[in-house]
Amino acid sequence: MTKNENSNDKWDVQLRKGSLELVILSALKERTLYGLELLKLLHSFETMKITEGTLYPLLERLKREELISAFWRQEGETRPRKYYQLTQQGEEKFTSLTRRWRQSVDDIEYLLQHPGPQPINPKGE
Amino acid sequence: MPEQSLIQDFLKNLSKYLSRLDKPDAAEVIREIESHILDAIELQEQTGGTPDAKSILDGFGEPRELANQYVEHLLKGTPPPKGFKAIQRVKRGATKTIYYSMGFLGFGISICLIFLGLGKLFMPDNVGIWSAAQGNSVIITFSEHKYLDSNELFGYWLSPLAIAIAAGIAYLTKNVLRVLKESIQ
Repeated sequence: MTKNENSNDKWDVQLRKGSLELVILSALKERTLYGLELLKLLHSFETMKITEGTLYPLLERLKREELISAFWRQEGETRPRKYYQLTQQGEEKFTSLTRRWRQSVDDIEYLLQHPGPQPINPKGE
Repeated sequence: MPEQSLIQDFLKNLSKYLSRLDKPDAAEVIREIESHILDAIELQEQTGGTPDAKSILDGFGEPRELANQYVEHLLKGTPPPKGFKAIQRVKRGATKTIYYSMGFLGFGISICLIFLGLGKLFMPDNVGIWSAAQGNSVIITFSEHKYLDSNELFGYWLSPLAIAIAAGIAYLTKNVLRVLKESIQ
């Protein structure tokens, strides 16, 4: 692994730490998924390849905080699986985190678009 | 089937470390993780691969670490209701007392034994362990007077023996303190 790839990985880990809760909430928005399904969904994105050991305790914490709820369901001949979905409180949290996320992205984007040496004036005053 | 026993070992270990949770909660965690592992193995087979339990278990990490994430909220999560804080402080105080007494006792005994071992080396005639003639008492002594009616035990072997036991006790004390320290943090 080159030094650059290595530091990209570190960046991904740091970024994920803060955003993982929003990632899980948005993956479960209007969807009911069980753990493995959710993990596969996240693994289909380059920067969201989290491990089972990160996912399951996090789901448990979100459930404890009543942002998601879980239930066991058996479909046909398959073994029973534990499905997760957003609660009303989870929906609200999703909305407020989404707003903050978009604000952060806009702010960073603004800085990226406005390098020095000109003075910066984010609020257009 | 080695895959099966790998999985069973993993779940057994995990279950052991989850014992701080209520039984039904721990059973639910195990049930979900077992279901995930079996699903993931089936998926490997369906996609034409050979079942590889180890790679799936690696994703979960060490059972102890995994369990810690499930129980950490119990250890530091919700603050106790008012009035309970005092009890917690007393409990922590007690553990601290045990911690320091254990350290004092364990390392104290080690230091005494090292003194005994070194003393025997430098003053072989005055230091030793003696068994009284009647055989019903043992005397450890730093003395100019020999116990005439007693037999000396171990002789010069007392030095290495005392130092080895001292090292053993210090090692054990260190390990016990490490465990106790976790509970006072």
